[in-house]
Amino acid sequence: MGEKMKEASYDVLVIGGGIAGGEAALNLANNGLTVLIVEKDLSVGGKMILLSKVFPTLDCSACITTPKISEIARHRNITIFTGSEVRKIRKKNENDFEADLIRHPRYVDAEKCTGCQLCEEACPVVVPDGYQFNLVGRKAAFIPFSIANPRAAAIDIESCTLCGACEKACPPGCIDFTQEPEEYHIKVRSVIIATGFRLFDPLLIPRYGYGLHKNIITSMQMERQLAPTRPFNTILRPGDGKVPCKIAYVLCSGSRDASVGNPVCSQICCMYSIKQAQLLMGALPMADVTIYYLNIRSFGKGFEEFYEQAKGMGVSFVKGKIGKISENPNGDLLLRYEDINENRVKEKVHDMVVLSVGIVANRDVSSFFGEGLLKLDPYNFVSQPDQLLRPAKTSIDGVFVAGTASGPMDIPDSILSSGSASAETISYIIGRNE
Amino acid sequence: MAVVNPSFGEELKKYGAVDFNACYNCGNCTAVCSLSTEKDSFPREMIRFSVVGLEDDIKSSLKPWLCYYCGECTTHCPRTAYPGELMMSLRRWLTSVYDWTGLSGLLYRSLPFSILAFALTTLAALALSLGLKTDLPAAMHYGHMFEALAITGVFAAILVPNIVRMWWLVIIRPGKKVPVANYFTGIGELFVHMFTQKRILGCDENRLRWFEHFLLVIGYLGLLFTTVVLDWFSNTSLLVTGFGYLLSILVFSITMIFISERFRKNKESNRLSRPSDWFFVIWLFLMGVSAFLVRVFLDLGILANNQWIYFLHLTILVQWALIIVPFGKWTHFLYRSFAIYFNRILAEIPDK
Repeated sequence: MGEKMKEASYDVLVIGGGIAGGEAALNLANNGLTVLIVEKDLSVGGKMILLSKVFPTLDCSACITTPKISEIARHRNITIFTGSEVRKIRKKNENDFEADLIRHPRYVDAEKCTGCQLCEEACPVVVPDGYQFNLVGRKAAFIPFSIANPRAAAIDIESCTLCGACEKACPPGCIDFTQEPEEYHIKVRSVIIATGFRLFDPLLIPRYGYGLHKNIITSMQMERQLAPTRPFNTILRPGDGKVPCKIAYVLCSGSRDASVGNPVCSQICCMYSIKQAQLLMGALPMADVTIYYLNIRSFGKGFEEFYEQAKGMGVSFVKGKIGKISENPNGDLLLRYEDINENRVKEKVHDMVVLSVGIVANRDVSSFFGEGLLKLDPYNFVSQPDQLLRPAKTSIDGVFVAGTASGPMDIPDSILSSGSASAETISYIIGRNE
Repeated sequence: MAVVNPSFGEELKKYGAVDFNACYNCGNCTAVCSLSTEKDSFPREMIRFSVVGLEDDIKSSLKPWLCYYCGECTTHCPRTAYPGELMMSLRRWLTSVYDWTGLSGLLYRSLPFSILAFALTTLAALALSLGLKTDLPAAMHYGHMFEALAITGVFAAILVPNIVRMWWLVIIRPGKKVPVANYFTGIGELFVHMFTQKRILGCDENRLRWFEHFLLVIGYLGLLFTTVVLDWFSNTSLLVTGFGYLLSILVFSITMIFISERFRKNKESNRLSRPSDWFFVIWLFLMGVSAFLVRVFLDLGILANNQWIYFLHLTILVQWALIIVPFGKWTHFLYRSFAIYFNRILAEIPDK
């Protein structure tokens, strides 16, 4: 990294440096292939590195992601471009792809940055911290998050006032406002799409009042509150900083719901909500946690036992979709639903509501390739023409898909999917050579 | 024990139900419905009953009549199962269940039969008008007599027996023990709802919908009173004449709004209009307009030379009184009010 090259060639281009892209890159690199990971974020690690614990084993997510990410970052066959995006990919021939990339300026020399955070202290600008899902603020000169890789500062040029305070405070003098976007022309033999997913935007369900009622948060915000690198040292509701004692989970917020444009199951929400409920029972032993569900889909290995364990711990499960949420003057929330087991509509008060938001596709993937070449499924995930026997195959030979870019799945399935994608890539490259 | 009867769903589709089998029982419709209460929760239960085919449970239920079709449930249904339209279809189906003649069901299920019924009544009115062509005063006399007779006849022969059947289905057959006194204490509810429809105000929608509907009911009942009791077409009092004009204008202008809304499909409740819905609003409109014109012609002194307008009015009146009032959508005026009345009576007996 850091060379001022405008042209380069690798064996494989991996788009996306989350757990799926990272795992695929590692498999390929260990087999002697050279890999370029293009990550649009400032750090690799994707969504997994931001999570608290994983289901159903309750392993610490950050603690298992960071060593993996370090291994990827230090591998001699792997090059990582963070803050970078793919513009165009052209297939010239089999084993012959050309990609145009853009590296956005970080305004910090990441090689020289020691991560001392003095620029953060000096910066006078405070904006919402996207990595903490806007629960707290950060500076315009900032280290993305404490376990980021590379753990180097960056300047958020959109919010920066160009006061120069960070430049004066920086001991190694690595802040450089003269950096410009760099364009790269890359030759590769194969491509893996590991662009992951987006979280469903709960503003699309106005009757839940997310954004309007302060004490409604998304499951990702709760995930941050429970993580080892959490913003507060306990669980707080955002409206007034009270420690909540009656927490409600609203499952299928933006999943299995044609009226908001996403009729499919997101596959992870039941389990992550059950996991968070268990963690909350530990963090706030006096709290009541209620999960409002349509059906509990605990289909994976050890999942059903995990669900039973939550029930055993005292988590309440109520069958019924939440219809409306309104706010009481004290910030508590009134949830209206039909209790399906009793056949009657009910209203319950909770002091904090967590919307278990679903996952939706990253739509920009298909624009990398020529018009209509990369086929998407009806829900805009990458289409798998041979889903049963070759799940990593896409509509373009030599382009493979790993992880949630092909559809909703949990972490173990993403890892499996990456294994499949890397194996397919190796056989594609070797098969063509012979 | 309930017996599952999937063919019931097929029957309901003939009354306008669509895609309700897509329901996955999340209860969102019930939760977003602002008229749904802990005691009377709907529409999900009705959808479940319809999917499973629990005909008797639906027959004895008043819930379809407690819904005023604001359409929120359909808008927010995650499965696009049209719960609002199912409730509407159940009201049509129940209307046919209450009707002892069976004609209601035929008219709802079959458009050709409806057209035939309208054609036959047109012929009858035409024959009558040909027979009386030279004698307008006699025709107007008979027309006025017909109005009074039709009202009495339809009520005595069709509507009252049907209300009794409804009462039998929801109170007697399910074995509800209702003290006789309850029938008297609840009677106020019947008339309040019949003349104000104030339950619509419980819907989250804007109040305009209730107000339009309220004006139409008042306009219609007023016009009925003015023509039948005050004999508008023969009355010379300035007050009565002016009153009649006002009411007929009210009826056709509001139905005009309703018709244009059904055309524009601007609300969830207008998106899937059935022939019975169209007949109802269009005939109400035609009644208002033709009555208005008859009186205008009369006041201009040109009615004698343009008798056709009176015979047109008479034809529309005959169709209205013999098809739409006893067997069509008009009946919701009665069934809804009685449903609220019966529901009130039943609410007073304690749960077991």
